[in-house]
Order: sequence, then C-alpha cells, then structure tokens
Amino acid sequence: MAWPGKRRGTTHLGSVGLAVIMAAMLTGSGGSARAIAAETVAVALSTTLSGSIAELGRTGLRGIAMALEQINAQGGLLGKQIRLVSADDGAFPANGVSNVRHMILVDKAVAVFGPATSAVGTAVETVAGQYRLPVFFHMANDIQITTSNFTKYAFELVPNTVMEPRAIAYYFAENVAPKAGGKRIKIATITPNYSYGRDTVEVFLKTLKELKVDFEVAAQEFPQLGATDYTSYISALLAAHPDYVFAAIFGGDLITFTKQARGFNLEKQMKILGFYDQVALRVLGKDSPEGAIAWNRAPFWTENGPGFAKFLADYRARFHDAPSPWAITGYSAAQIWAYGVKKAGSFESDKVVAALSGATVPTIRGDITLRACDHQGEVPEFIGRVSAQTDPRYGQPIYSETVAVPASKTMLTCAEAQKRQP
Amino acid sequence: MSVESLAVELLSAMTTAGSLFIIAAGLTLVFGAMRIANIAHGSFYMYGAFLVSTIVSSFGGGAFWVSLVAAPLIVATLGMVVEVTVLRRVYDKDHLTQLLATYAVFLILADLAIRFWGAQSRAVPTPAILSGSMRLGAASFPVYDLFVVGAAAAIGLGLWILLRFTLLGWRILAAVEDSEMLAAKGTNVRLLYTMVFGLGALLAGFGGAVVAPLQSIDTGLDANIIVAAFIVVVIGGLGSVAGAAVGAMIVGLFQALGILWTPSWAPAYIYLAMIVVLEIRPSGLFGTAEMA
Repeated sequence: MAWPGKRRGTTHLGSVGLAVIMAAMLTGSGGSARAIAAETVAVALSTTLSGSIAELGRTGLRGIAMALEQINAQGGLLGKQIRLVSADDGAFPANGVSNVRHMILVDKAVAVFGPATSAVGTAVETVAGQYRLPVFFHMANDIQITTSNFTKYAFELVPNTVMEPRAIAYYFAENVAPKAGGKRIKIATITPNYSYGRDTVEVFLKTLKELKVDFEVAAQEFPQLGATDYTSYISALLAAHPDYVFAAIFGGDLITFTKQARGFNLEKQMKILGFYDQVALRVLGKDSPEGAIAWNRAPFWTENGPGFAKFLADYRARFHDAPSPWAITGYSAAQIWAYGVKKAGSFESDKVVAALSGATVPTIRGDITLRACDHQGEVPEFIGRVSAQTDPRYGQPIYSETVAVPASKTMLTCAEAQKRQP
Repeated sequence: MSVESLAVELLSAMTTAGSLFIIAAGLTLVFGAMRIANIAHGSFYMYGAFLVSTIVSSFGGGAFWVSLVAAPLIVATLGMVVEVTVLRRVYDKDHLTQLLATYAVFLILADLAIRFWGAQSRAVPTPAILSGSMRLGAASFPVYDLFVVGAAAAIGLGLWILLRFTLLGWRILAAVEDSEMLAAKGTNVRLLYTMVFGLGALLAGFGGAVVAPLQSIDTGLDANIIVAAFIVVVIGGLGSVAGAAVGAMIVGLFQALGILWTPSWAPAYIYLAMIVVLEIRPSGLFGTAEMA
C-alpha cells in the first residue's frame, strides 16, 4: 500500500472544504419502488424520509398508505386498485421535483401528495401544475401555496403560515393577555431561521398588535433548523427576562430546546408557547413543560369526524403508537382525493379538481370545505395547555384543555388571497 | 447586563465548546495521522447517541453510566471495521476518492440507523445525580452542562497524556510528521491507522453519548454535527488537538455573543469566525503549512 502522508502537494484545506460542502448537501435521494400491475392506478408521494424530520415524513406516509389500503380492500376506486409510489426527497426541492416528475412520467401517477417541508412544497406545486395533476398538501403549509405560487391543481389541507400564528395570537389575546392585569407583556420569540419561522413570528406579533394586546418584544432568536445546541439561545432568552417565549420550533428541535431549557429553569422564569404536538409530548414524557400553551394541527384526543375512532384503533394495532398529526392529515388527504375521484366519476385531473373545488368533504378530521378561491381547506388550529402527567388512556401526556380556533377567524379573505395570486 | 447573566452566557459558550471539542478532537486526529477528511465521523457521533438511548431504554436510567463506556467502545469497533474494509482500499487514491468513500459510509450508516432504530425521535433522561441546576446568584445553570464541560476537559487531558507520554501517542505524532519514515523504522503503520481511526470513532461515539441526555436523538444528528465539527477543525488547524480545543472555544464564544448581541445574524457567526481565522492564518491557528 502507499502511505497517505504528504503527497503531491494537494491542498488538504481544499479537500476539507469540499467535505464541508458535501456534508452540507447531505441528501437522501430516492429511487421509487415500482411494481406495475394491469388494473392499478398510481398516486405519488415524495416526502422527507431521512434525516432529522424523517419521522414527520414517514408517519405521513403511513396515514396515506393506510387510507389507500382500506380503499383497495373495499374494491378500489372506479374498479381500479390504487398503488402508492413513494420516494425520499431528503428535504431538498430539487429531489422533490425530480421524484415527482419521475412518478408522473414513468409511474403514470394521476395525483400527488405533498412533501414535508415548505421549500419542497412550492417546488412540487409548480411541477404538479405543469403536468396538470391535483396535489394535496397535508404537511407543507407555506402561505405561498395558496397565494403567490397558487395553481388551481393545489389543495392545502392544514392551517397555513398565516392561519396558524393568527390562531395562536387569538388564543393569547383572549385567554392570556386579560390576566396580565393591565401590565405590558414582554414577549421573546425563538423560531427557526427560514421562511416558516420568519413568517410565523411576524404574523403572530402583527396579529397581537391588531388585537390591541399591550406587549413589547424582549428578544428575537433565529437558530438554524436542526440545531443540536440551544444553550446560548436559552441564556440569551433568560437575559431578556420576558414573560412569555413564543417557540415556533418543532420536531426534534423542540425536544432539544425543551430538554436544554429545563436545566436552566427557564420554565420557572417565563411561560412557553410552543409547537408541542403528540409526538413531542410522547418523546418528552414527564419532561413535558407543564402548563405551556401548545398548538397542534391534528391532535388525536379531540372530537374528530366519523371513522376516527376506528382509524385510531387500526393505527395503534398496526404501529403500536399513537398517530402523529401527519398520519391523521395524510389519511384525510387520501380520503379527499378519493372523494373527488368518486364525485367526478373519473381520474382525470380537471374533473377531479372541479369536483373538489368548493366541496365539503367528510373525513376522519370532520367535514373539510375546500374554499373555491384558493383551495385552502377550512380546518381549525388546535390550541391547549400541556399537562405533563401521563394520560392513562393514551400512555403519554396530552393537553389539559384543547380549543379549536376555526378557520373562519384566521384565513385570509378570498379577496386578500386572490390579490396575491398570479 | 448583570454579572450572573454574563456568567451564564460564558458557561453556555463553554458547554457548546465542550461538546464540539470532543467530536472535533477525533476528527482532527484522524485527519492529522491519516490525511482523511472523514464525513462518517458524524455517523459515529449519531451511533453513540442512539446506542445510549437503546441501552438506557432496555436497562433503565442507572445503565446510563455503563452506556457512557459501552457505546463509545461499540462505535470504536465499528470504526475499525470501516477502516479495515473500506478505507484501506483508498489510501493510495486521491482525496476526492477518499472523500467519496467516507461519504458512502456516511449514507450507508444513515440508512442502517433508520433500519435499526426507526425514524422516531428518542430522548434519554438526564441521570438523576446530574439532573438539577446550580444557582448563580439569581440565575441558574444546568449541572449536566458542567458535566459536559468536565468530560471535555478530561478527554483533552487524556489525549495530551496519550500523545506526550505513550509509545502509541509518539507513533501517532510520528505518523502525522512522516508516515513513510515511520514504516521504514519498522512500525506497523497499517495497524496504527486502524487504531487511530478506532480512537477517532471512539471520541465521536463518546461525544454522542455524552450529549444524548441533552437533545432529541434522531436520524439527522450525523449531518447536523459534521459541518460544525469540520469548522472547528479548520479553525484550529488540521491535525492539531490543541487547535481543536481553541477552535471549539472560539466557535462557542462567537455563537454565544452573536446570539446575545445580534440574534438575527447568529447562525452566520461561526462561519465568520472561520473566515477571520483563515484570513489571518490560512493553515488554521495551530496548523502548519503543507509542504509540497
């Protein structure tokens, strides 16, 4: 063997630089699994199945797959069995685009389910629009999907980045601010440093202002998505002495933040408003922040639509776990597409889109109306208080009270949405 | 700003620096002795954290201390297997091939992690004895974070003793200087490389194990840590353990003060630190210029 000592005067710094670039681009590219059968129709899902948000993508995939299996077991749609083609986008828009294009051209997919992240979401919306296929967003929720990037083939099935922070602001103005006793409330914010985080915090603060809440911003932090070390952010929050911290961080990042904040006694010095969904509370267990104000796009313990109890039981039996919000929204997304196909009596895109536009569709989440002007699903945001006690019914902490803030309060008006559409 | 706040801020910076140092020390050691920029170093870190979560969830919280030793040893074994099966085949190839090889290992280990552990996020409870917080006047600071700083100091001391006072350490330093001469003198360099790579993996695994109670353990840890670790190594000077320590402290301080003063720009600060250092010393703080 040759010794890898000092050879050929290559600059090692250059190779390390290359390593850094490669590491920064770490990607999970996916080949789609294919098994062509004669009487089947394909639908496409490109989502994030690797890396730090793999759990979101994978549980969303489970929900869609379960719904389609049940449809197939009941004889399929229009006599055809449905085949789900899926692939990993590694959270990169370019991968999402090439996956979806491949699924449309090679697998002959007739409909697309949206990816996990917003950046991939708008890219996939554009591709689906180019090929004129309906696309259903059950996770990505960038406001652009229904406004500046809108195509009539896109349907948004979760509260978007305007609706969600508005809902939290309404809850805060109604339930929290009146208890301040006329004192000005100090609010700090910590949100990830990309469009979701920046948009969410901006709309939240703007809405508080519109609702005439007397507050001031004590500090604003923007950590990287996927940060593993929040200690410096936490000590900066503590130094600002706010009454509340608005933490629109999610998934593993929120778990990391909460665990690290616990050691600093942060919860004793300020109240947390955070994106604590059922997955975060399951992972945190007794480390969940008691009394924190939390929001959630699809909890499993609230009043849901017909068939929800059966879905919950089936999901638990199969995966030995409670469904994540994404499993629930994924399942309902597949229900909505199937409803459109049945109503249209066809898999043809334009007919399915016409059948769904303005329709009210029964799903396990309850009836969802797909507003005709921007195809935003009129879905509520759920807000509650974290109870760190394990709930004996579910074997994990949930909320002690959960309220649904209806879409009618939080959506852009049709006029506002259409003004931003192309 | 109060004295307590400043103390908390500095201690936070030290925690960041401590966890970064443990990882960067292994990375820089492997680079120094073997001239390999090992992207899979992040995978070893992730495996350390996952192994701790598996051991603790199987045997209870008391097993944490056992896992702190067991997990790095398992990861070190994995590292040696990787060295023997993959890296040995690419030592005589150019840097790009070596880089692609470690990148391939990274992708394979990421996929295996999803197969073994699933995509679910996991959490490891902080061991009871270290779970409280320490009072600093009006402020408080997590005891576990002090443990992280202590662990980093112990690793630094251990490496110093290893490199200064043991035969293995001298051989590693000799390999950094001139591996051909070392081989000519009769040292089994092939075995030495396996041991150095195993030691690097051990440190990465230990880094992952130590921070396991501080964060969500999921399948993205490998990618999230490796960029920061490379930056620390580049700032400190490639191959220098002391450089890794100073580099980690610089990154920790830049980050903490950046977050405090201009939070909106905070994520840019560690890159800024790297640019400033490389502008002044292109080989890093403790690096020596390569001779052609």
